[in-house]
Amino acid sequence: MSLRAEALAVWAVVLRNTLMGVRNLFFFFELLFWPVVGVLSIGLMTRFLGLTPEQSAFVLVGTIALSVVNVCQLEVAYAMLLDVWSKSVKHQFMAPIGVRHLTVGAWLVGIARGLVIFVLLAVLGRWAFGFALGAPGIAVVGAFLAGCFLTAWIVGVLVCALVTIFGTRAEAFAWASVNLVLVLAGIYYPVSVLPAPMALVAKAIPLTYFLDAYRAHLGFAPEFAAPVATGFALSAVYAVLAHWAFHAAVERARRTGLLLKMSE
Amino acid sequence: MSSPGAPPPPVATLAIDARDVAKTFRAGWLGRRRTPALQGVSLTVGRSVIFGLLGPNGAGKTTLLSILATLLVPDAGTATVLGLDVVRDANALRRRLNMASGRPSFLWSLRVAEIVAFYGRLYGLHGAALARRVDALVEQYELTAYRRTPYNELSTGLKQRVALAKALVNDPELLFLDEPTLGLDPDVSVRVRQHIADLRRERGMTIVLTTHYMREAEELCDEIAFIKDGRILARGTAADLKRQIRLGDVIALKLDPPRLPWLAEAPGVLRLEESDGWVACTVDDAEKRLPELLRAFHAEGVVVRNVQVREPELEEVFVELAR
Ligand SMILES: Nc1ncnc2c1ncn2[C@@H]1O[C@H](COP(=O)(O)OP(=O)(O)OP(=O)(O)O)[C@@H](O)[C@H]1O
Ligand SMILES: [Mg+2]
Repeated sequence: MSLRAEALAVWAVVLRNTLMGVRNLFFFFELLFWPVVGVLSIGLMTRFLGLTPEQSAFVLVGTIALSVVNVCQLEVAYAMLLDVWSKSVKHQFMAPIGVRHLTVGAWLVGIARGLVIFVLLAVLGRWAFGFALGAPGIAVVGAFLAGCFLTAWIVGVLVCALVTIFGTRAEAFAWASVNLVLVLAGIYYPVSVLPAPMALVAKAIPLTYFLDAYRAHLGFAPEFAAPVATGFALSAVYAVLAHWAFHAAVERARRTGLLLKMSE
Repeated sequence: MSSPGAPPPPVATLAIDARDVAKTFRAGWLGRRRTPALQGVSLTVGRSVIFGLLGPNGAGKTTLLSILATLLVPDAGTATVLGLDVVRDANALRRRLNMASGRPSFLWSLRVAEIVAFYGRLYGLHGAALARRVDALVEQYELTAYRRTPYNELSTGLKQRVALAKALVNDPELLFLDEPTLGLDPDVSVRVRQHIADLRRERGMTIVLTTHYMREAEELCDEIAFIKDGRILARGTAADLKRQIRLGDVIALKLDPPRLPWLAEAPGVLRLEESDGWVACTVDDAEKRLPELLRAFHAEGVVVRNVQVREPELEEVFVELAR
């Protein structure tokens, strides 16, 4: 495929997901409601517990990361879910495109949504709890956001793969996956408090490293030597694996007939 | 299916060349429930032909179309479409074909023009060329008034037209239509059929369609294959099929005297039925037998008051084959 054709297919998906997002109130609700509730309740809890400003910031950045990952991840999952819901799956897989066009297109929309949420929550955090999310500087915040988006992409693509294997039964993964990240990536605590086996799993999650890097700038002792580089390297490996899984799932669905089942 | 003995036509002239294609769907625990949907289908379809697949519900028509459209991978056999293997060259093939079904579904909130444009982009159209194609298709399918209507607000007939517009967005060489006139009112059906015929005439498109309407098959299709239980039972023009199935032609006669004992034994006569003073005489070939019978009546001094000759309907062929 020429570069132009590649870009065009991605753009088609960007437009589609954007239009669907703009026209469905449900998606908007998702975009705003949970993140705001999350930050408010966690912020109030830190106040009740009388945490130091640093500790509060530690926890709040975790909540914000979680919201950004969740919003972006759902959008990536929509690459598949929208068509599953509307039973139009076969049309996009009859067209000469690959899964990458779907995942990249949806991811770009997810990034845009994630940025909106990030800014909103940063403003809310500042206004309600005096937490200056942007204080460590643009590079640090940029790396942190990149980590959130990459994690979201990987999780979202895996959800697409699961939906393609198990059909609508796997939809729950789309909403549950983020909670797994919550427990394992050390959203509210340093990874060192996890029991050894879980800490091992946590170390396999890219977001863990990006959170660690950001928190180092809040004055917490870093737990990893080169967190950002490690996070990017892990993300790259997982992104490739997740895409392979999604591609394999589509090819499997062509053999089992699920691709047709999801279109009738 | 080429007739035994005859050499198959060279590949380049064929739009479809499927050999021994088989597909079994597996369901349930460890895939123990098996549905053999296709059991060794061989089929050739020439270019610029309108080809009809007929057969009872669950015969495997949609399964076959899906394999040819690269949506389903066969378990066994090979299929070459437009000279490309449906499994190995799937992506190259996808550019050149498209499909619409009689039960279409698209993203509920997208508007008519947006749906056509979305798929247009997936096929590499953009900018002014895309806009022109979308406009042309919207106009051609009389969707102009609904350009900005969300998909889920459209009637069945309109949805079907959107599906057809989408299926033509890449100007395919080969078009699969799965029950294209399902649930359409007679007026719209006629126009859709007209349009299908035009596509072949004007652009030389090859069209493979399935239908449960015999009139449609007879009117549109150059050739028909009859499929049942995943096997092709017969293939040919509508006239061929009627002949192959040997349903015979019916010669209805009003005679004086009305009963002739020797008639049932006359050469070529398969069946006799009497009602309302008519004798319905089923013969193997009316063109051959009618003159013979008339000569015999004349010799016997029988007066022939009225004669009607009727070929069997495709529907009767269908019922006979589906039995
Ligand atoms: N995706 C699928 N998964 C499992 N079984 C399937 C699938 N698609 C079809 N089948 C089964 O395969 C058989 C053939 O189905 P197919 O849809 O090809 O028939 P058809 O000739 O198109 O019938 P109809 O006229 O009702 O549309 C049926 O028994 C059907 O239940
Ligand atoms: Mg069918």
